Amino acid sequence: MQEGEILGILGPNGAGKTTTLQMLLGILTPSSGDIHIFGKNLQTDKSAILEQMNFSSTYVDLPWRLTVKENLTWSAYLYNIPDRKKRLNQIKELFRLEKQWNQPVSALSAGQKTRVNLARSMINFPSLLLLDEPTASLDPEVATYIREFFANQRKTYNKSIILTSHNMAEVESLCDRVLILKDGVIVGNDTPVNLAKKIEFSHLRLRVTKNAAELDKLILLRKLDSVNEDKQYTITIKEQLLPLFLYEITKKNVSYIEISIDKPNLEDYFMKIATSTPETKFRGDMS
Amino acid sequence: MKLHRIWGIFLRYFYNLIHTYDRLTDMFFWPFIDLLLWGLTSRYLVSTGTQNNTMVLALLGGIILWIFPWRGQYEITVSLLEDLWNRNLVNLFATPILFSEWVVTVMLVGVFKSSVSFAFASFIAIFLYAANIYTFGILLLPWAGLLIMFGWVFGFLIASLIMRYGTKIQTIAWMSMAVVSPFAGVFYPISVLPQWAQTVAKWVPVSYVFEAMRSIITGTAVPLANLFWPFMLCIVYLVFAFLMLYNSYHAILKRGLISVE
Repeated sequence: MQEGEILGILGPNGAGKTTTLQMLLGILTPSSGDIHIFGKNLQTDKSAILEQMNFSSTYVDLPWRLTVKENLTWSAYLYNIPDRKKRLNQIKELFRLEKQWNQPVSALSAGQKTRVNLARSMINFPSLLLLDEPTASLDPEVATYIREFFANQRKTYNKSIILTSHNMAEVESLCDRVLILKDGVIVGNDTPVNLAKKIEFSHLRLRVTKNAAELDKLILLRKLDSVNEDKQYTITIKEQLLPLFLYEITKKNVSYIEISIDKPNLEDYFMKIATSTPETKFRGDMS
Repeated sequence: MKLHRIWGIFLRYFYNLIHTYDRLTDMFFWPFIDLLLWGLTSRYLVSTGTQNNTMVLALLGGIILWIFPWRGQYEITVSLLEDLWNRNLVNLFATPILFSEWVVTVMLVGVFKSSVSFAFASFIAIFLYAANIYTFGILLLPWAGLLIMFGWVFGFLIASLIMRYGTKIQTIAWMSMAVVSPFAGVFYPISVLPQWAQTVAKWVPVSYVFEAMRSIITGTAVPLANLFWPFMLCIVYLVFAFLMLYNSYHAILKRGLISVE
């Protein structure tokens, strides 16, 4: 992984996303191999490595009886933050925690807890941040703010981020590179755009007004997958065949009033991977 | 080991203490109730003429000194249990803290809480029954040291089992010191135990402290050197118990800290 890179890890449930993050945090010992972060071996230099890292996970709770301020204070001591008071105030403002500051974590909503978790993960200004579903349970406005915040962290401070998410749009917009895991194996490793390009099929949507029968014949002839819901057709077709197909339906006097073409995206690729046997396996060094 | 990290973990447990009424109850309420009941019982025994005034200090001294092993063990195991109940263990160990720093901190938390409970209980004993445990003078220091070390031994042993088997065996956190207490001779001389139990008591380091306390109360001086053997015994136990805990920690890392529940 490069410095300043945002790497997304995607995969169906049980693929090994959280397991990977756990290994990177040193709370799960790999059954084989070594993990190297910042050029150091995690097994032997765990403490020094984790001083420059942090994490946030929706699956891990903070001590719920402690207030937000107390939770961030003890964390600040763990990382030996030089000007604790100043840093705590910065974090309070950045994550909009002014109202919750003196409330116990148990009194917060799920979204507020996620914000506190994210705030705690930034307490040491980490060079590498691991985010396990960072925007789960956040409302759209705050989720957008958080995404922009992390994108800005990378842009301004060259921070590296590894994130897992089930939100494909989030991964597509934030990540430079995506690893797709299935059953503990990397089955995809590329930029979101390049991964999406591996899907050759687009979805052509048409609202047909005349000669629908001709269109049905053509679909049958070309052996295409299609769905027809009250003359609203969704046809799955290879991208390079699209111009020819559109020419053919015009020639057959098929009239339509609406047309849209959905190009393949990361979600299409993910769905293909999640539901099929991997064609290519990229086993390799994950350091 | 880094002091700032130890202080950070200590603060975490301290904040938890001040927000948790049951932990505060453990520190003050139960020592108070024990002192009240046993103080009244001992006063009654003195009033019947079958016992003299030393009985009060012997019983209350036992209760007050027992705070050290009890809290030493309790703090290690209950701190671990609370982190498991609240799914906090990952939060703690996915940071730069070393396992040894966590261990040292929970040991120090035990020292802190037992010292506060001891000060509170000793004040109550003086106030209610004029039983002054400070008459033992400087001897209280090595006694307290030995007693709390013994608490750590059990704390480590129980924590290592909880790490391996999870909270389903959590009841042993409250049981363990009760099991050992009959052999410790907290309230009675070891000589009243059956022979086999006396043999067991010889291997329970804290029994030497309570025997020494009773000897001093009855006017028999006890040389400090008598504590050498129980100290050595305790150190051996402590090393063994720490190794067990250390092994358990590394064993659970193989299946993931998050899996412990």
